[in-house]
Amino acid sequence: MAGDRTKPCELDQEKYDADDNVKIICLGDSAVGKSKLMERFLVNGFQPQQLSTYALTLYKHTATVDGKTILVDFWDTAGQERFQSMHASYYHKAHACIMVFDVQRKVTYKNLSTWYAELREFRPEIPCIVVANKIDADLQVTQKSFNFARKFSLPLYFVSAADGTNVVKLFSDAIRLAVSYKQNSQDFMDELLAELENFKLEQKEEDAPDQKQSGKTKSPSLS
Amino acid sequence: MCTAKKCGIRFQPPAIILIYENEVKGKNRQRIMPVRNFSKFSDCTRAAEQLKNNPRHKSYLEQVSLKQLEKLFALLRGHLCGQSLATTMEQIQRETTIDPEEDLNKLDDKELAKRKSIMDELFEKNQKKKDDPDFVYDIEVEFSQGKLQSCGWDTDSADEF
Repeated sequence: MAGDRTKPCELDQEKYDADDNVKIICLGDSAVGKSKLMERFLVNGFQPQQLSTYALTLYKHTATVDGKTILVDFWDTAGQERFQSMHASYYHKAHACIMVFDVQRKVTYKNLSTWYAELREFRPEIPCIVVANKIDADLQVTQKSFNFARKFSLPLYFVSAADGTNVVKLFSDAIRLAVSYKQNSQDFMDELLAELENFKLEQKEEDAPDQKQSGKTKSPSLS
Repeated sequence: MCTAKKCGIRFQPPAIILIYENEVKGKNRQRIMPVRNFSKFSDCTRAAEQLKNNPRHKSYLEQVSLKQLEKLFALLRGHLCGQSLATTMEQIQRETTIDPEEDLNKLDDKELAKRKSIMDELFEKNQKKKDDPDFVYDIEVEFSQGKLQSCGWDTDSADEF
């Protein structure tokens, strides 16, 4: 989209405040199969949006959860994981996280702790699913225990982007978790930050009264 | 039509040799395809492509993968460089497999793309495509988590997983 290219800073994240919008992020090392998982789930048509300024690929999807239509944005990295750290805006307003490792490569499993620490720094409470990908290469791994998931009480899914095992289940569950997180958000830090943001904006309005942004930015929790 | 049985390389004089079965007679035959204009500076991928597309050999090589031909040319190149067969085999092994300990986050674009293309081979082999007749969109498999063995990647220390 031309607009994205000319004004990359205007990637609109306000929409994730709307009830029917959720944002799900994918984390994990290079070449663990994050994009392949996305493509397998969205096999019946997807147009990923490349936002190169953010090293980001966005996949849009419409899901139905409990009879309600939900617009899902999946955020996938476009190579930014190679810096082993994501831009803060990647985490901003995310409602769930899918964290992937490659069962063929130990180092990708070991690096989960780095990804998880960064995730929790920005999003202390959002649901997170650990994904063991590429089980088609070695089905034996499904009979093994992975302490990382257990240690942090995270659900662990054994999947294969190649043959499709548990891919749809993974994403459907992630969407469900994102929606329910949003409905019962108890993320104190997030609310605090939201209020601080509002506070700042209100101050700005006072400073510059001709900037008409009230209403849009006011949150109902502020009274 | 022929069924390929074996395909190998002869160093002197250089030639790719195919053992195949002629369907009509059900008898093994041998086809010698001389390798010309190949030196230790040649590109194995290009040489393999050229041979595979050679109008005289094309139909015989249909069942022989480009990867295998590439590997055979790599063996020849190693020989032309004066390397031992073992050294060349080791080199090929390194270039066509993934080192599970390697941190791919640290590679540049070109090297990462190489590793990805190696991984893509297995992916494509195991891939069920949307157009395959036995494609099922939603496949759920529950893996019984009864008696679990440790994955061997966790350390015993309490702080680490």
